[in-house]
Amino acid sequence: MLSTRALGLAPSLRQAAFSPARNHVLRNVIRSSITKRSIQTQSLKPEDGTTILNKQRLQRPSSPHFTIYEPQLTWVGSIFNRITGVGLSFLLYGFSLAYLVAPGTFDSTHVIEFVGGLPDAVKYAGKFILALPFTFHSFNGIRHLLWDSGKFLTVKGAYSSGYAVLGATAISTIVLMFQ
Amino acid sequence: MSSSLILRSSLSKSILKRSIFRSSMQGRFLRQATSDRFAYVPGGPIYKGTVNDPTTFPPPSKTHGSYHWAFERLLSAALVPMTVTAFATSGTNYPLFDGILGLSLIIHSHIGFDSSIVDYLHPRKFPVIGPIIRWTLRAATVGTMVGVYQFNTNDIGLTELIAKVWTA
Repeated sequence: MLSTRALGLAPSLRQAAFSPARNHVLRNVIRSSITKRSIQTQSLKPEDGTTILNKQRLQRPSSPHFTIYEPQLTWVGSIFNRITGVGLSFLLYGFSLAYLVAPGTFDSTHVIEFVGGLPDAVKYAGKFILALPFTFHSFNGIRHLLWDSGKFLTVKGAYSSGYAVLGATAISTIVLMFQ
Repeated sequence: MSSSLILRSSLSKSILKRSIFRSSMQGRFLRQATSDRFAYVPGGPIYKGTVNDPTTFPPPSKTHGSYHWAFERLLSAALVPMTVTAFATSGTNYPLFDGILGLSLIIHSHIGFDSSIVDYLHPRKFPVIGPIIRWTLRAATVGTMVGVYQFNTNDIGLTELIAKVWTA
């Protein structure tokens, strides 16, 4: 110690001893002043998790459903059973409510007179429009009741009963049209 | 040493920035495409409450279960012989039959309308219009019952009307 001071080597030795540390400090200063963390954290409350999850769930696509199926006698017959039933029920509700509101206009005499005055083409078209859903809904309703009692529940049974309903509907519609 | 460090950090920063830009653009396009094609409808896949809450079930009721099902089937099955009878006889000769047929048809129609509303206008998806339509149906059913009763009492009755209009 005494000899180094005597020789005048102290400054150079001190520099050597301290220089790696000084270099390290310098590097840290440069790095922190130039680079930034690209990941930011944010504190969230526990219930915020559900909000984020719900936002994510709203981005999810919905599966394609009945539009991807080819039209088959099974499901087409089923939906037409509903459509024809709703149509006929609309007629029943419409006429009954109309009679309730205006019994003088929608009484049987006026209705029969009005229909009697229509041209034949309109009469046949009207009979077709009424007879087709009525007969289809009636026969397909029996088919549904047979299904409910456990009959015709095979693919073959569904198709043969479906064709039977279509045939019976066609025949009875034509018969009713020319009554 | 320090100059190379600066170079490296600035290079990585620009790459990072570009990749962030690209991913955000992609994300925006993807999100737009999906949200356009799959627009949100109420009653979608969102959670009510938290993920740990159990699924809610409607309260159990015998009238909404198998009794309802059996009643529907019995009514539909009863309509088969009634329809055949309506073709064979006239309602004016049997006013009681005309009344029972009219009432059965109305209840059958009401059940059909109601199940359609449950299927296509469920309050879960249509919180406003669903209940409005359901109560409209109930009012219309009551009105139809009164109307059919009036028509059967003061006029010729439903079966007779259909028979006469058909051959008019």
